[in-house]
Amino acid sequence: MELRLKNKLRENIISITISLILTLFITSVIILLIGKNPFDIFGIIISEVFGSGYGLGQALFKATPLIITGSALAICFHASLFNIGAEGQLNLGAFVMSLAAFYFSALPAYLLFPVVIILGFAVSAFWGYIPAIIKIKKGVSEVITTIMMNFIAMALINFLLIEFFAVKSTVRTEKIADWIMIPKLSAYFQFFQGSSVNLTFFIALALAFAVYFMLYKTKFGYYIKAVGFNETAAKYIGIKNNRIMLLSFLIGSGLTSLVGLNFVLGYKGYYEFGFSNNLGFTAIAVALLAKNNPIGIIFTSLLFGMLDYGGLTVNTVIPKEIMFVVQAVVILSILSVDKIVNNYFQSKD
Amino acid sequence: MNSVELINISKHFGSLMANDGINLKVRDNSVHCIIGENGAGKSTLMKILFGIYRPDSGEIRVNGIPAHFRSAHDAIKLKIGMLHQHFMLVEDFSVIENVILGNELSKGITLDFDKSRQAITGLIEKYNLSLNPDSKVSDLNVSEKQKTELLKLLYRQSEIIIFDEPTAVLSPVEVGEFFKIITKFRDEGKTIIVITHKLKEVREIADDVTVLRRGKSVYSVNRESLDIDVLAKEIVGELEPATALQKINMGNNDIAVEIENIVLDKGGVRKLDGLNMKLRKGEVYGVCGVEGNGQGEIADLIFGLEKYSSGKFITFSDLISLIPDDRIEKGMIKEFSVGENVILKNKNINIISKNLIAKTTSEIVSKYDIRLSDYNAPLQSLSGGNQQKVIFAREIELDNDILVFAHPTRGVDINASAFIHSVIISERNKGKTVLLISSDLDEIFFLADRIGVLYKGKIVREFSSNELSSKSEEDVDVLLEKIGKLMIGITVEE
Ligand SMILES: Nc1ncnc2c1ncn2[C@@H]1O[C@H](COP(=O)(O)OP(=O)(O)OP(=O)(O)O)[C@@H](O)[C@H]1O
Ligand SMILES: [Mg+2]
Repeated sequence: MELRLKNKLRENIISITISLILTLFITSVIILLIGKNPFDIFGIIISEVFGSGYGLGQALFKATPLIITGSALAICFHASLFNIGAEGQLNLGAFVMSLAAFYFSALPAYLLFPVVIILGFAVSAFWGYIPAIIKIKKGVSEVITTIMMNFIAMALINFLLIEFFAVKSTVRTEKIADWIMIPKLSAYFQFFQGSSVNLTFFIALALAFAVYFMLYKTKFGYYIKAVGFNETAAKYIGIKNNRIMLLSFLIGSGLTSLVGLNFVLGYKGYYEFGFSNNLGFTAIAVALLAKNNPIGIIFTSLLFGMLDYGGLTVNTVIPKEIMFVVQAVVILSILSVDKIVNNYFQSKD
Repeated sequence: MNSVELINISKHFGSLMANDGINLKVRDNSVHCIIGENGAGKSTLMKILFGIYRPDSGEIRVNGIPAHFRSAHDAIKLKIGMLHQHFMLVEDFSVIENVILGNELSKGITLDFDKSRQAITGLIEKYNLSLNPDSKVSDLNVSEKQKTELLKLLYRQSEIIIFDEPTAVLSPVEVGEFFKIITKFRDEGKTIIVITHKLKEVREIADDVTVLRRGKSVYSVNRESLDIDVLAKEIVGELEPATALQKINMGNNDIAVEIENIVLDKGGVRKLDGLNMKLRKGEVYGVCGVEGNGQGEIADLIFGLEKYSSGKFITFSDLISLIPDDRIEKGMIKEFSVGENVILKNKNINIISKNLIAKTTSEIVSKYDIRLSDYNAPLQSLSGGNQQKVIFAREIELDNDILVFAHPTRGVDINASAFIHSVIISERNKGKTVLLISSDLDEIFFLADRIGVLYKGKIVREFSSNELSSKSEEDVDVLLEKIGKLMIGITVEE
């Protein structure tokens, strides 16, 4: 039986390698089409991302919120709950975190951090609670409701900012006290000098491992997957489906708030409207590519983080949007190559 | 001449040889039964003949001509049809719509409904299928759904028809009807292959029989030289000593579950209509009935999944094991492995390690003789009978007080059936309450202390243990006939 796991790993490595080569090829063609030399472009990206601690740090910094949101969403996806509402959920959470950190700064650290995290989590979770309960009570698809909740969340934050909390003529909250800021990695490793990557990166890694443990090693995780696979069977096995769906939605959406640690407490010191830049949607791709396995999500997030930062480094030569194209090509090629590789090994087995 | 010849067919899954050089000759115009233990490779072999699996090696000849199937589509082109155990019907479509799906006779770009309807009603009449072509499939019972599947094959003019355990889901009367239908097929020149576990059925319909054991074809015989005892021995290799357990009366026959005048509606349909039943500790209560008369709802009621609108329901224990009627839809998470499926129901386990899964699996596998290729394989890759054994094992191992078992031996081979029966009796002897729902009257007669006949949501007649213990064979036949009539709503003079 060990053999089968090894085969699985081999299949995954083969399929990812092939997809990356395919992506490289397709991207090169696109770059050629806009009249640039792909080798130059890739050269710049590689030397910028891997050539300096700063570049690497920035890629890790970009990967951090993807790891957090991807892992959080994986919980929902395992329960077959298609939560498209992470964008709204994480914005509200981060927003509330920034306010809590600002207004409760008189609290001692051992109280302040829990309060900030719990409030952020609670608000994001509440934003997931609404679609979850509508689905459970009324059977309305969470896909529709979570999309709508995104719009409402963004409008609500916009309103609150403008009416109450924004620093005059900006779209951001007040800056929090310096002592609350989460230390940057450069404070410990000279190597990352200048980069925004901070301790949240390790929190994200720990979160991914924790979610992995929950999903693959606990009864609760098995319940989540059982409900996701077959609700009827889960019911006959004695699982309380509604409770499991509600809990996975609450935990999944609640955890998205932790991106606030990276951006608000670890980077800017305030919440800024639009900071997330579709993070909630990219995270869906990151999770799906990793087949909702949080350990895999660490890797897909790192890949997307590198592409994201890499795009910025070549911005002067080609539009950075090219990196969205690359991300899309990566998704499509991994999905299709994976299928082909799987089939190949299945027919051989 | 042979319609089908399978020569030296092999197929492996991982390290397991599911088919190991199998030879099978199916004569033109015959009913050929395939029999063998759970996991012997019967379904695999038939899936190869139907183009679903590709063999590792070996040759398939159809009507003498070598055939190479890349998919079921190729087999269909050679007029081979297969009726799977798990129906593949669109529940929201009518019978007609299901039948023409994928075989549309078109008139320009629209479907030629009239022509199809004519063809289909013609087939229904010809084979006496007693099926309304306009019924919605979701309203049909199991036997009618099976007939719809059959219509699909007939409509495509299949000449070689493979049935994978067609009788497992049927009541005795329906089995009789089904046999008439396939005999008719044979008489008009079709070739029929039937997988079954029941020797009685082999004797009744087979022109030829082939026995598979552990992936090999070990024995073939035709009707004239068929000896059931020899056949039974060939199936298992060696006969296990019969271990018929005796029922012991414990004296303690307290009531465990009390169901009084329960009325239960589902989707606007009355499913239970004044149901009365008392289940005792240390007894097996057998429910006889044609599928769809409320069996599923009784199970759901006891398991606490259904709300009733009136009546009284009391149970002394809520430690209840359940084997649901539909094992794939309700009994298991088919994507999970054997061990995972078992652990899923264990209330004392919260952390699930690889070691725990391996340990649980090996315990269950050896104790219940489950055959599988790989401990980590999803449950759906096990053979049908082995899946059933896993579910049975899980429910017994929970050691609950009340056991609600629907068709516990469905799809299970002879030896395993005997084993399951003896486990049920030993549970009963421990003082447990067993509610046995089965369409197999022999099974109910063998196991039950009391029998209730269920018709249209209520028990229309209950037979006490005294009535059942009259032993002469004629008595049993009279009783069986009586129950058979009650099951289809005919009131009998007492
Ligand atoms: N897709 C698959 N992947 C892995 N193993 C498989 C697969 N299909 C079948 N097997 C294995 O091959 C063996 C033969 O299975 P098969 O379904 O042919 O048995 P069978 O004779 O039909 O048994 P049953 O009477 O229980 O239906 C079993 O041990 C089963 O676990
Ligand atoms: Mg089978």
